[in-house]
Amino acid sequence: MVLSLDLITGLLSFVFTLFIFSYLIGDNPLFRIAVYIFVGVSSGYIASIAWWQVIWPRLINPLIFGSILEKGFMLVPLIGAILIFMKILPRMAGMARFAMAFMVGVGAAVTIYGAVAGTLIPQVLGTINIFDLLAASARNVSPIESIFNGSVILAGTIFTLIYFHFGARPKADGSMQRMRLIELFAWVGRIFIGITLGTVFAGVYAAALTAFIERIISIINFIGNFL
Amino acid sequence: MRVFTAVIAIAAGTLVLGGYFLPALAPVQTLLLNWATILAGVAVLVGIFNLVSVHSDKIRRHEKGNAYSALLLMALIVTFLFAMILRPDHIIMKIALSGIIIPVEAALMGLLTISLLYAAIRLLRRRAELMSIVFLITAALLILGSATLPFGNIPVIGTFIRPWITQVLALGGARGILIGVALGALTTGLRVLFGADRPYGGN
Repeated sequence: MVLSLDLITGLLSFVFTLFIFSYLIGDNPLFRIAVYIFVGVSSGYIASIAWWQVIWPRLINPLIFGSILEKGFMLVPLIGAILIFMKILPRMAGMARFAMAFMVGVGAAVTIYGAVAGTLIPQVLGTINIFDLLAASARNVSPIESIFNGSVILAGTIFTLIYFHFGARPKADGSMQRMRLIELFAWVGRIFIGITLGTVFAGVYAAALTAFIERIISIINFIGNFL
Repeated sequence: MRVFTAVIAIAAGTLVLGGYFLPALAPVQTLLLNWATILAGVAVLVGIFNLVSVHSDKIRRHEKGNAYSALLLMALIVTFLFAMILRPDHIIMKIALSGIIIPVEAALMGLLTISLLYAAIRLLRRRAELMSIVFLITAALLILGSATLPFGNIPVIGTFIRPWITQVLALGGARGILIGVALGALTTGLRVLFGADRPYGGN
């Protein structure tokens, strides 16, 4: 039984990989079949995950088997769920606003806290801590190297932020112009952004190449099993 | 109705944000986050229902490519029914996951190898300016520097230039971009909490 399941999985994997790679010779029906089936299977799987891992244990189960207090607390999301389902009916779609407003409010609060505690404070602290010479010597990094690298990182951070500063003053002829110093810093910022995006590109390319090689090896292995 | 939706958004957001700083509000925050998770799960189902209705309409109107829509709907319904009856962790569902979803995702990722290379060449041909040249030189140096060759790393590029670019130059730019994105997210969140932006349809 296990062997046959492995065979089915391997066969499906082989066929779908070939269908997707057929795109290398251009858009064709095999590629489209694979992509549409992929979207269908993924959507069905995600819908079942949403039911079994969120809606059933957090909403339906407490409503059926929970205490009276739990049932009372679950009435609010139950009403919210019904309101969201009204989006399906065009005439009643406006009713979903109440549930959407609640989700947007909660999402905004989580975003604010995430931006401050998860990005702003750690990134600012990270930039400051590079200049901690005691910590640098503990890592066997010379103070000069630490200060130089820290200065480059600090300059990169500031110039990149300046690049996104679009405040401008009107000139005598009516056209808008940024301050010359800002223009200069923004130009340096462009170079830092170019380097950063190039690094991201190289990372994504390496990951894509790894996936490509892994798929090619899986095709070779599958064929090799039958030779 | 507009005022009522704004009041819901502001009250829910303020209570959840307050829960991070005031321990007394933490239980309320947990309750509200649980409700939001449930509603997000329901929203996923509504989104998938929308996908079904769009493709059903394509089939009903005999639009071009309706055979693909029929395939999509069949795959969706069969997967959903099996997963609802057997549960997502059943071995049959593992076949769908390891036989279709993961291989297709990996193969599509693999296709990026070709399309990214093609895009890089097009960028150089169409916009040969400072930023694109810096972008491509950086990418080329990093790919060369991380290549595993029979004789080991390429001298200088692999041992000095690549680590310095990734750990110093790119870190500075990435930090600027991240701080910029965080400031943008913070501003957008505050505008929602103050009721200045009402993306839920409250104008």
